[in-house]
Amino acid sequence: MKLQHSLGGLEGLGSVDFQKKVFVEQWEKRIFGIHAAMMGLSTHLKDSLPKYPIDQIPTTFKDIWTWADLRRGAEAMNPFDYFKLRYYEKWLGGISGFFVEKGYISQEELDEKTSFYLKEGNVDPTPLPQKVVPAIDDQVIKYLELGDSPKQDVDVTPKFSAGDAVVVKNMPVVDHTRLPGHLRGKPGIIDLVYEGCYAYFPGPSDGLGPAQPSYSVRFDPKDIWGEDLAEPGSTFYADLFELYLDAA
Amino acid sequence: MSIPGDEQFTYSPNRELESAAKVRALEALLIEKGVIGSETVNKVLEYFESQMGPFNGAKLVAKAWVDPAFKELLIQDCNEACNSIGMTTGMSGAEGEHMRVAENTPSVHNLIICTLCSCYPWPTLGLPPYWYKDPTFRARAAREPRKVLQEFGLNLDNSINIRVWDSSGQIRWWVLPERPAGTEHMSEEELAALVTPESMMGVAKVALP
Repeated sequence: MKLQHSLGGLEGLGSVDFQKKVFVEQWEKRIFGIHAAMMGLSTHLKDSLPKYPIDQIPTTFKDIWTWADLRRGAEAMNPFDYFKLRYYEKWLGGISGFFVEKGYISQEELDEKTSFYLKEGNVDPTPLPQKVVPAIDDQVIKYLELGDSPKQDVDVTPKFSAGDAVVVKNMPVVDHTRLPGHLRGKPGIIDLVYEGCYAYFPGPSDGLGPAQPSYSVRFDPKDIWGEDLAEPGSTFYADLFELYLDAA
Repeated sequence: MSIPGDEQFTYSPNRELESAAKVRALEALLIEKGVIGSETVNKVLEYFESQMGPFNGAKLVAKAWVDPAFKELLIQDCNEACNSIGMTTGMSGAEGEHMRVAENTPSVHNLIICTLCSCYPWPTLGLPPYWYKDPTFRARAAREPRKVLQEFGLNLDNSINIRVWDSSGQIRWWVLPERPAGTEHMSEEELAALVTPESMMGVAKVALP
């Protein structure tokens, strides 16, 4: 199993840090912005709705970058590192690693530039290179405004209806999943059949990708955690792709 | 003697500076190589400050409190509700293409979580706060929501059913909190000012200042 797929119900963690800030360090904003830009320039957007003119944007970025890539990276981490690193530290590692792996930059130039900016216990105030490219900025903002809807108009009849009893499949553990580990093998009831079909981003996973029906599935916490551990007076719901469900 | 595992969690004393320098180096290289422009990251951050934030969700909540027909629409079709009051640009944008709202009532309290990552409705709530992304919150809220809410300072009566929504698919859920008592005289704008991101994810109630 992968610990990152099975966080739900992990015991012995202590109290929650109720930190309301979105960014706890200023540098975190920059890696978030880089990630958002990559998502808005991802080549897969040429096929999404609306059809973004990605081929015409004057960027050297020529890859697919979606949530699936970021999540796959986090799910591939050594779980001890996953817990050791703060949220945006994981992003910084994953995203800089991607640019090195794909050959956009070399590890040497990244290290050299990092040393340049890290001087005498401070970040060097030398400004970033100035090269404004409005067509890139406009595309990225357009992506934020219009999104990348996974909903597709395909003619597939959902296997299940509201009220049906289902069992969550115990899928093989692979690079990436949208099946929360604590629900594997558990019985639930279809609460809601979402209208239409939903696709998932490209890349290796346990079978996600093509548009398929998806559901809000209702679980009795006693069925997930057992009589002793389940808190009385609560109900658990998860959004699950049809791929993950069998009839009970 | 060092404890096994101790080394795993030893951080560099320059932890933050090293990350700050590395992200600056990365951004500089991406600009030099034409991946992004020198204003791209600034534009993204400005967009979240001015267009995509919890101020949108607060506006929708306040409107739902004063307009029952709008509340009905918000629960039936959140994206259409945003369109219906002219909040079109961006309200079905990134991470909000398909949103749904769970309504708190005197007998039901909703809590949104994402045990696999940090799925969050950007157009209505902006970017997620740290507590929501914290693995400890994600792990514990799934199994012991009532206890976690108590730690957040929210003590719910045992008669109230807690619905926990794990955002593991393509829908981005958020919460329509209850209107607090003693706000009958307030305008929509005044009401919106009371609504926090925490109340729209279900770890707090809306309170008077």
